Amino acid sequence: MFIHNPLNDSELSFPILECIHIIGFTFSLGTIAVVDFRLLDWGMPHQKPSQLYQDTAAFTLVGIIVMIFSGLLLFSSDPDMYYLNVAFDLKMVFLLLAILFNYTIHRSAVLEDAGSRRAKAVGWISLGLWSAVIFGGIFLAFINEGLSLKNLLMIR
Amino acid sequence: MILSFAQWMQATAFFSALRQSWFVYPAIMATHLLAIALFGGMVLLTNLRLLGLAMTDRSVSDVVGQWRVPKRIGLIIVATCGILMLGSKAEEYYYNIFFRTKITLLALMFLHGWYFRRSVYYNTEEIDKAPEIPIRVKVAASLSLVLWASIACAGRGIGYIDPPLNKLHAQTFPAATVLERTKR
Repeated sequence: MFIHNPLNDSELSFPILECIHIIGFTFSLGTIAVVDFRLLDWGMPHQKPSQLYQDTAAFTLVGIIVMIFSGLLLFSSDPDMYYLNVAFDLKMVFLLLAILFNYTIHRSAVLEDAGSRRAKAVGWISLGLWSAVIFGGIFLAFINEGLSLKNLLMIR
Repeated sequence: MILSFAQWMQATAFFSALRQSWFVYPAIMATHLLAIALFGGMVLLTNLRLLGLAMTDRSVSDVVGQWRVPKRIGLIIVATCGILMLGSKAEEYYYNIFFRTKITLLALMFLHGWYFRRSVYYNTEEIDKAPEIPIRVKVAASLSLVLWASIACAGRGIGYIDPPLNKLHAQTFPAATVLERTKR
């Protein structure tokens, strides 16, 4: 409760961290999306999904590490606000699912250059999970502190 | 003149409705950011390939050529969302120093694309034939990365400038009323 967080001493630290967060997830999500688009047959027809995955896996991992660490620092600036925010809760659920999916089902389907039906399903699920994470991240700033899912559904 | 155009644009029924909905504006912003993330990966990888730092097993022609169309589609999605956000709060953006910075940087980005078009982005076969990546290509790729990162940061900065309320003619939807409504 009374731990002093030096991040809150400067007005600039939060926006700078946000920029690092955005660049981090452009690396992770951007490189995952390149593989997903290939799974969906949107671009890069000359390469197999597994080749694209091998080209981009290191960038994805670095991006995930940067976005998680910058995200933890952003969270530490005002944990109560995030903790009580329904959009943040959903974002964390989808983030966990997206990372788990990425390194299990997604990875094996990509490395095996899975047939078109499975490849398309995996591509859509991956894009869907990561989209939910981004939407959660934006909406948490537009939702009032303490707004529960129940209250949210009552808004017309 | 720009200011009166901004005032007229945000007063149109379409942009007023957009501004007054509590969820449409954030949904457009989220789509803007999502498209930046999804298509930004191609921009990153293309430029890193031109620098010789990524995808070195693939030819420059392969990387630049195959992502040209998807990158344009991405730019159209990002720009459309950007224009929708701009239109709904045009007057506020007009006064915003980070918005002005972002537009200036975007203009520089277009100049960059025009200037290096022939020698780099449509000259990939020559680049593949060269024993080493020419310095001009590396300069183009580095400038592109720095400009795009600056545009993203300037975009984030827009939200940190308090709107000059005494000058504005349209009220933006105050977030506090979301909770007020739920109490009724």
